[in-house]
Amino acid sequence: MLPLSLLNAAQNKPMVRTLHNFLQERRNVNGHLVNCDNFMNITLREVYQTNADGDRFWKVKECYIRGSTIKYLRVPDALLDVVKEDQTRAREAGKGARGGTHVGGVGRGRGGARGGPPRGGRARGRGI
Amino acid sequence: MDSLIPFTTSGSLVDCVDRKMLVVLRDGRKLHGVLRSYDQFANLVLEDTVERIYAGNTFAEKWCGLFLIRGENVVLLGEIDLDQEDDVPLRQVDYKQLDDYYRQDAAAKKQREEAKAKILYEQKGFCKEGGEGDGY
Repeated sequence: MLPLSLLNAAQNKPMVRTLHNFLQERRNVNGHLVNCDNFMNITLREVYQTNADGDRFWKVKECYIRGSTIKYLRVPDALLDVVKEDQTRAREAGKGARGGTHVGGVGRGRGGARGGPPRGGRARGRGI
Repeated sequence: MDSLIPFTTSGSLVDCVDRKMLVVLRDGRKLHGVLRSYDQFANLVLEDTVERIYAGNTFAEKWCGLFLIRGENVVLLGEIDLDQEDDVPLRQVDYKQLDDYYRQDAAAKKQREEAKAKILYEQKGFCKEGGEGDGY
């Protein structure tokens, strides 16, 4: 489970808290994660924003944060378990469609191809 | 299995997964937590995270939970030796109690750095430095 796929799985789940940096000013942004992409750009809904000192608050209906300005995201603790369950369910569904034994075969094949010796051998052969 | 993972900087993080780690961020935050996942950008997922602050010979912890840290903000990632962790000669105090001291320390340090930068710029002919995190 890569960090960004965890974020992907967190879509539409309540409460993500972000700290980001805009024009050198640290802000806290709390809200519902609506969408995200591979650059970590995110859109939030029902947002509460605070300034660096945490003494002023703004309520914003929707906001978009460019990924590069994000320092970190705080996500609900329960998310890890939810994501794990989702993954298992997806895997089960995939097995059902393709047939269990076949999936295992593919995995082994890929492992062999990744090993060094076979690949190196073929390359040398072509050179001669 | 190990030989399948290339010896790269991110490849060597494999051994650190599911261990208690210390992460230092560019803004000076120190986070302790269990590393659950990472990627090629050093984006990190930390579980059961606590933020630690230090002042004098005391420290305090604040519970933060599950963290997803953007890689560009990571300065340092280090494994914590669980055996030696308890021998640290620092006293743990309440977070609220230490927070004010910590802020004062940070403000004083910032002032000192600014004064130093000013002298370096005006009298010693050095160039100006940028904003936060420029030291890294």
